[in-house]
Order: sequence, then C-alpha cells, then structure tokens
Amino acid sequence: MAHKDLRSFLAAIEASGDLVTVNDQVDWDEELSGIGRLSCERNGPAFQFNTIKDYAGWRIAANPVATWRRYAVALGLPADTSVRRLYEAYAEREQQSIPPVTVNSGPCKEVTISGDKVDLFDLPVPMVHEGDGGRYLGTWDLVVSKDASSEWVNWGMYRFMVHNERLLTGYPRPNSHLGKMLLDGYVPHGRPMPIAIVIGADLPSHLAATATFRIGGNEAELAGALGQQPVEVIKCQTSDLYVPAGAEIVVEAEVYPDRVAQEGPYGEYPGYRSGEMGNALCARVTTITHRRNPILTLDTTGFMDSSACTTSISGAIAIKRRLEKHGVPVAEVYVPPESGVHMAIVSVRRGGGAIAQKIVEVLTARRALISKVIVVDDDVDVFNMAAVIHAFSTKCHPVRGVHPTQYQGRANALTPAYSSEERVAHSGASVAFDSTWPPEWPVETTPVRATLDAMYTPEVQRKVLARWKGLGL
Amino acid sequence: MPIEYETFARDSSRIMSGREVVLSLRDLAPGRKKYRGINVRAVVSRPPRPGEPTLWIRSVVGVKDPLPCSVRIVEELPATFQAVPYSDFFEVMEKAERR
Repeated sequence: MAHKDLRSFLAAIEASGDLVTVNDQVDWDEELSGIGRLSCERNGPAFQFNTIKDYAGWRIAANPVATWRRYAVALGLPADTSVRRLYEAYAEREQQSIPPVTVNSGPCKEVTISGDKVDLFDLPVPMVHEGDGGRYLGTWDLVVSKDASSEWVNWGMYRFMVHNERLLTGYPRPNSHLGKMLLDGYVPHGRPMPIAIVIGADLPSHLAATATFRIGGNEAELAGALGQQPVEVIKCQTSDLYVPAGAEIVVEAEVYPDRVAQEGPYGEYPGYRSGEMGNALCARVTTITHRRNPILTLDTTGFMDSSACTTSISGAIAIKRRLEKHGVPVAEVYVPPESGVHMAIVSVRRGGGAIAQKIVEVLTARRALISKVIVVDDDVDVFNMAAVIHAFSTKCHPVRGVHPTQYQGRANALTPAYSSEERVAHSGASVAFDSTWPPEWPVETTPVRATLDAMYTPEVQRKVLARWKGLGL
Repeated sequence: MPIEYETFARDSSRIMSGREVVLSLRDLAPGRKKYRGINVRAVVSRPPRPGEPTLWIRSVVGVKDPLPCSVRIVEELPATFQAVPYSDFFEVMEKAERR
C-alpha cells in the first residue's frame, strides 16, 4: 500500500536514503531549482528545502520521483525494486479500479484565501530556469477539470506560470484531455472552465495524473488502484470539482474562454526549452487553500526529471495495450527515461518491415508523442539498453529498416527537432527502426548471435555458469 | 534601484522600430513580486535612453540579447488580451497594437 500523503512519502524516501533535507536558506530565484536540476542529471536524491528566501513558513520538495528508487517507494514497494518489476506492478494495478471516497474535511482546507486576498506572490513559486517566461507554480501538479457535457473528470499534470497576483497562464497541449475539454465544451459557448491545480497530493494521484490514459478514463480511480487504497477527495470552495483532501495546496481557478496572456517559454521534459511559447491559456484564480506549514512540490523539469520516470511506465504500458488491440504481436515495451519520452523500444514475437510500419502508424494515429520506435525481436531484453543498441546497430537495415511516417495537427510541439513552423502547426514525423530479422529469411541462413545464450549448447552454458559461480564472480 | 524589465520577442527588430508597440513585460525588481507580468504600449530604444527603465530582450527560447535597450511605457494595458485560448500570442499583441 502506498503512502497516504506527500509528507509520509517524504519520510519514507528520507528513511531509504533518497531525500536530503536542507535547512539553510536557499533562494527561490533559480538557486534551489539549480540544485534539483543537478540532482536529476546525476541520478541524485530528492530535496526538501525548509527555509526559502522571502517566504518564511513555506517549504519546497524538489523532484519527488525522478529516480526508479523513489518511483518504487511511491508505489509502496521497496526502493530497490527492479524496473521490470515496477512495470509489472503498474500494469497489474492499472487493470484494477478503486473509486475515491468523499470526505467533508481534510488537511488541504486548513487555510483558505479567497477573492481579493488571493495573491500568487504569497506562494514561494520558484524561477525554475534562467530565461524561462516566468515563475512556474505547476511543475509537479495535478489539474482537475470536468467535461462540459458529461460526467468525465480529468486529472492531468500540466505546467502553469504566474502572470500576476491573480492570473496564471498554462500550457496543457490543445490536444491534451484538458485542452480538448476546453476547446470542445467551453470556448464555443464563451463559458469559463473551472479548474483546480493540486500541489503536493499523495504520490499515486500524481502518477495517475501523468498517466497516458484513455479519453473518459477516471484518473481518481486509477490513483486508488496504483496506491492500493481509495483516494480521499473533497469538494472545492468555488466549483463542483473534487480534489485529494490530503494535498498541500489547492489553487482554484477559471480558464478564460476568450482571454490570453503571455506563457512560456519553459525548459520542458524533453530536456530543452523549445520555441512553443505564446499559444496557451489564461486562468483567473478564485481561491487558494493549503495545509499549515505547506510544502510546494517542484519538478525541475529537463533531462531525467520526475516526468521521465512516471510517463515512461504509463506510456509504455499504454503503447503495449494499443499495439495488442491492433493485432501487433508485441511482447514487451520500454520507454527509456533518458529519451525524454521520445523513444520506445518494442519487442515483437514476429518482426519484419510490415510490422514496424504498422507499429509507427498505430502509435501516431491520434497524438504523436513518441517520435522514435526501435522494434526488436523478443529475444532482446527491452530493459537492457546495451542489448537494444546492439540489435539496432547490427540488425536495422539502413534503408529497408527505416519506416518513417509524417502527420499534421497532432505532433508534439515540444519535440526539439521540429522547426518553429512545425511546432506551431503541430506537424511532425515519427520513425520505426526495424531491428528484427525479416520473417522471410530461412532460419538456416539467418545470422546467429554470438552470445553465451545463443551460440553455446545448454550443457556448455550450464558448465560455464557453474564455473563462473565457483570462481566467485 | 534602477528599474529593469525583460520581454520575449519572436522578431526583435519589430519592437525596436522606434514606434509604439504592445509588449508583455516582466518586472525584474528583486523581491517577492519579481517576474510579475504587465502588458504595455511602449517605445523601445537602443541604445538605451538616459532616465528610461532598462529592457532586456529574450528570444522565444529564452536566449538573452546581451545588448540592453530602454523602454518608455506610454500606457499600461489590461492584464489579458482578447483572444481564444491557444491563439498565437505574438499575433494577438500585434492585433492589439493596431487598435
């Protein structure tokens, strides 16, 4: 069972040696974010900063799950759980559904600031990177929104920037679930869309918010399943949205259907600050509620940030399910965090060019977040990048093995490889690298891999392994 | 303390044309409200004019032009611009300029 709130999670990762507490004063203006950024790049710990310049009484927790160890603890598993086991645990739990329970009071309501008293500059919102468009409140958040014409409620993790005391600007992509709700159900009718930006909830709730999940899916139920216990939710002050009751901070707001302000640029999860700024949404804050002695959570976005791990797992599992649904003989899928969620490794029970082409077409049919797919035979361990690189380098034909596809209107505007014009138009391309043996090649002439498991008899393998063990290796 | 702002520009030559332009500025005054945004109608000068606040220009990916400008704020505008979400913000500002 996962930890019930952020504070118990932080205590757990401190106990496992994965959290460093800093009591000396640090500056919200780049300094504490720089420390968090370096930690991501060095596979280092999470940080809890207890003394923030200009903001007595506030704390900031940086990079809750930017390593597999912390991801494991977030699921309530031992910190040394293998990546393959984490994938398995996520996939098993994702199949379950544990509905949330509604409560009438909760820690997130300990302090309420409403109306004219709202001032976003009273929160220690960090300047995450030098050169960003502003201070980002929403980096490790959970944004609740509701479809205008159905009961569908979406939880997503989207970036939000402080514009002034009452206004936020944000960039949920237009083809994200929140963007779809806004553009389909509110903008055409000139209605503001209520949202709640939840900061510092229990970890499974945030994992669910980052999940690649179906339209109409209920992330609150997914959060319960991932944490193996129902999430307690409580009604917002100014809307009929429900939020995790144990959250540190809840910012209630309304997205304008007809107003904009500057948003971005921002150093994002692919590991770059791309030129996607300017096309965003604007929200007016109505109420802020928070716990006493609150902890603002921060993902120092960039290479190997928290989203790299979280979207790696949920994205890979979503890819596997989608490929299975379309009849692809998929065995395993891995999305390496180092790829900035731009590459997937797909192993298949039967390969060839037609399969690779089908994979890239299926994965780019609606939203095209992955731009590189390496397709390998199922004797390659997708979690072993050395084996994947070996297969890709040796088995992918430089001409016949490359399967590109281009598309309009659904590309990832954050993909650094795209030109400014491509990002604005959401046009892009993906490619599958077929690193499997062509199925028409006879087995008698197909190359044999020169490894212990493939080029030696089982008897010799047993002897070698026994000798290896006997040598104490 | 001298007043400093920064702004983000897709085409910096447009805003340094010497005529009145609409800009979204970030106030760089130290303290809790650093980076507060304001929308203005203003005239940008390079080299900076004495007595005017300093303006730093950044590109759409946040790269800072090392040469400073100055900015004379003619009028502070409302905090938001009329446009549907996901509109091209630079085109929205140019449109506001023509009003």
